[in-house]
Amino acid sequence: MAELQTARQDADLRFEREALPWLDDVYRFALSLSRNEAEAEDIVQETFLRAYRSWHTYQPGSDARRWLFTICRNVFLRMRERGRRQVEAEDGDVEALAAVREHESARRDGVDELLTRIDLAPAISNALGQLQEPFRSAVVLVDVEDQSYEAAAEVLGVPIGTVRSRLFRGRRLLQQMLLDYARDAGFATSPPGGGESA
Amino acid sequence: MTDRASRPSSASSPESREPVDCVTALRQLWDYLDGELTDERLETIRRHIDICSRCFPNYDFEKTFLEAIAATRPECRAPERLRDRIEAALKHAGFGGRCPR
Repeated sequence: MAELQTARQDADLRFEREALPWLDDVYRFALSLSRNEAEAEDIVQETFLRAYRSWHTYQPGSDARRWLFTICRNVFLRMRERGRRQVEAEDGDVEALAAVREHESARRDGVDELLTRIDLAPAISNALGQLQEPFRSAVVLVDVEDQSYEAAAEVLGVPIGTVRSRLFRGRRLLQQMLLDYARDAGFATSPPGGGESA
Repeated sequence: MTDRASRPSSASSPESREPVDCVTALRQLWDYLDGELTDERLETIRRHIDICSRCFPNYDFEKTFLEAIAATRPECRAPERLRDRIEAALKHAGFGGRCPR
């Protein structure tokens, strides 16, 4: 009985030292995913509760932050009930070239200069909030949280190629939203047209 | 944001040192900006972009775009009320420690 008590105290101490210090990072990640403070707080609480209940499955010495991000993202998806309605992306190369074509079309319209002329932060935040899963998680992990493709793949539980294609599709969708925003704001006079192939 | 070229490589190509055309460079532009190419491949793409009038504007646009996304990263701490909530929920689940402040 005393041994059981000691083991539990040790586990709690490790949880306090290895998991809980990442609370701010997990909160920021949840906030980037949900774009809503109240929802982010719910997600973070549920994340740490699940992490505590599963602490015996955590491999000592592995990356606790990544492990918590994985749980956090799963909680977010569950709360949004989007897990079963995800759309997959095309091949990463296809996405990259499609983005180039759209950008070159926008450049002909003079829209791409918006990046240097307006405060993009509100528009990008808004666009990120509209970006659907699984693209949003890939963009948030790599572009906002500055994770490598490999780290993002581990968090998302998918191959690196899948991260790449989701990320590239997510970026392309964001660019489309921003370019639409620019056109709506009067930064261009002509509608988006077909362009040269890349 | 700077190019993330210092990251460990995850994509490699046997033709790393050969010159590339625009389609190849543009296909790997995001990998390049993300620092996800081998050092050799990264240098090959960099050399092409530096001298290509078609690719450089695309590089410039994408770099600015990625910097703008990175700038949306919220610099915030979890609120005290959230720490209180988490500590209470964990204690309810049997946790005997404390939530760091």
